[in-house]
Amino acid sequence: MNKLSIQHCSKLALKTGRIILESGGATNRVELMMKKICISLGYPDCESFVTPTGIFLSLSDGESELSTSIKRIGQRRIDLGKITEISRVVNCLETDSSPKNSHNKSEYLESELNRIDTQKPYPMWVNNVCGAATSGFFCLLFGGSWSEFGVALIVGFLVATSLKYISKLPINGFLLNALAAMLIVLIAKTIDIWVPFIRLDVIIIGGIMILVPGLQIVNAIRDTMSGDLVAGTARGVEAIIMTVGIVAGSGAMLKIWELWS
Amino acid sequence: MRPFDFLTLMQFCWAFLAILGFSLRSNLRGIRVLFTALGGGLCWASYLVILYYTESMLLSVFLAISIACIYSEIVARLMHTPVSVFVICVIIPLVPGRSLYYAMQAYIGGQSSLASKLIFDVLMISGTISIAIAVVASAVQLWIRLKADIS
Repeated sequence: MNKLSIQHCSKLALKTGRIILESGGATNRVELMMKKICISLGYPDCESFVTPTGIFLSLSDGESELSTSIKRIGQRRIDLGKITEISRVVNCLETDSSPKNSHNKSEYLESELNRIDTQKPYPMWVNNVCGAATSGFFCLLFGGSWSEFGVALIVGFLVATSLKYISKLPINGFLLNALAAMLIVLIAKTIDIWVPFIRLDVIIIGGIMILVPGLQIVNAIRDTMSGDLVAGTARGVEAIIMTVGIVAGSGAMLKIWELWS
Repeated sequence: MRPFDFLTLMQFCWAFLAILGFSLRSNLRGIRVLFTALGGGLCWASYLVILYYTESMLLSVFLAISIACIYSEIVARLMHTPVSVFVICVIIPLVPGRSLYYAMQAYIGGQSSLASKLIFDVLMISGTISIAIAVVASAVQLWIRLKADIS
């Protein structure tokens, strides 16, 4: 049987792991997916250790050769579409038993990985309109009226637009959330000058709901439950820091506005 | 507010549309978007209905998140999608952003005791959400293992 080289296999597994982690996947899912890939490419003897910021993978062919690689994960963002795509590809690879040759499988995997990695997200206007919708409908959900809904739509649209540019700056998650929360309060307070009879708190809460770290909370719990204590703790701390960022940002802006006016 | 009236239906629609926006923003594609939005609406509506009958906030958060997580586990298996993709979007309406904001506002306004009560609420609600997710995930794991053992 024509077997794939051990370096190539570990390269493919690391690339899969990198894409899942960068899109905000849970670490036990990364370990599971890398294990499935290594088994279906003919290296069942593999060990991996994944943290939210890096992947360690060690592969062995059972005889003399051993390959260990480390991959550092830089930026992380939320992209649930990529996670779904990758698990579909890996499950195809696992269940598809017809091609015995592992080269066919690796070519299929490599082309799919390249396609997923370079996949474009939704165009910017869809993203902004969705941000506006999320903010506006959360405002209605928490008891806002129609005029407050309109203001929340504008706030959500502007914040979603500016988040795109703020996240290009080299700053960490805390500062990013704090800046975004400050912008929400600033825009809402500015609109309040011209539009009378609106309650600002429901509008600001609608805006804040765009930023809440739901993904980090879910990942922290699922990682801890599956025994990944390191990853679970790290994600939990990330969620707390993001929440503190939101509170600090909006609180600081409220206070500044109060002092200034 | 009575359960199962027009107002609950409206609230269901708002939660549905809000989660629709949220899941599109996190780049989810295809028919799954509709199912996550449905789950978000289900989560919020069941919270309101259970809150009416039990009058206990934490119990209704727990039960609503459990219902939403069971829904996600079923739908994710039908659509061959990772379960966490659904759970992430579905729990968003109950994440305590509102209590957090009011706590911060009370603190800035100098009402420290109200602020600490609200902060405690935030901690209790997020703890309850975590426990509900953990309970459902563990129960499903156990169920799968038992089924594998029997067959």
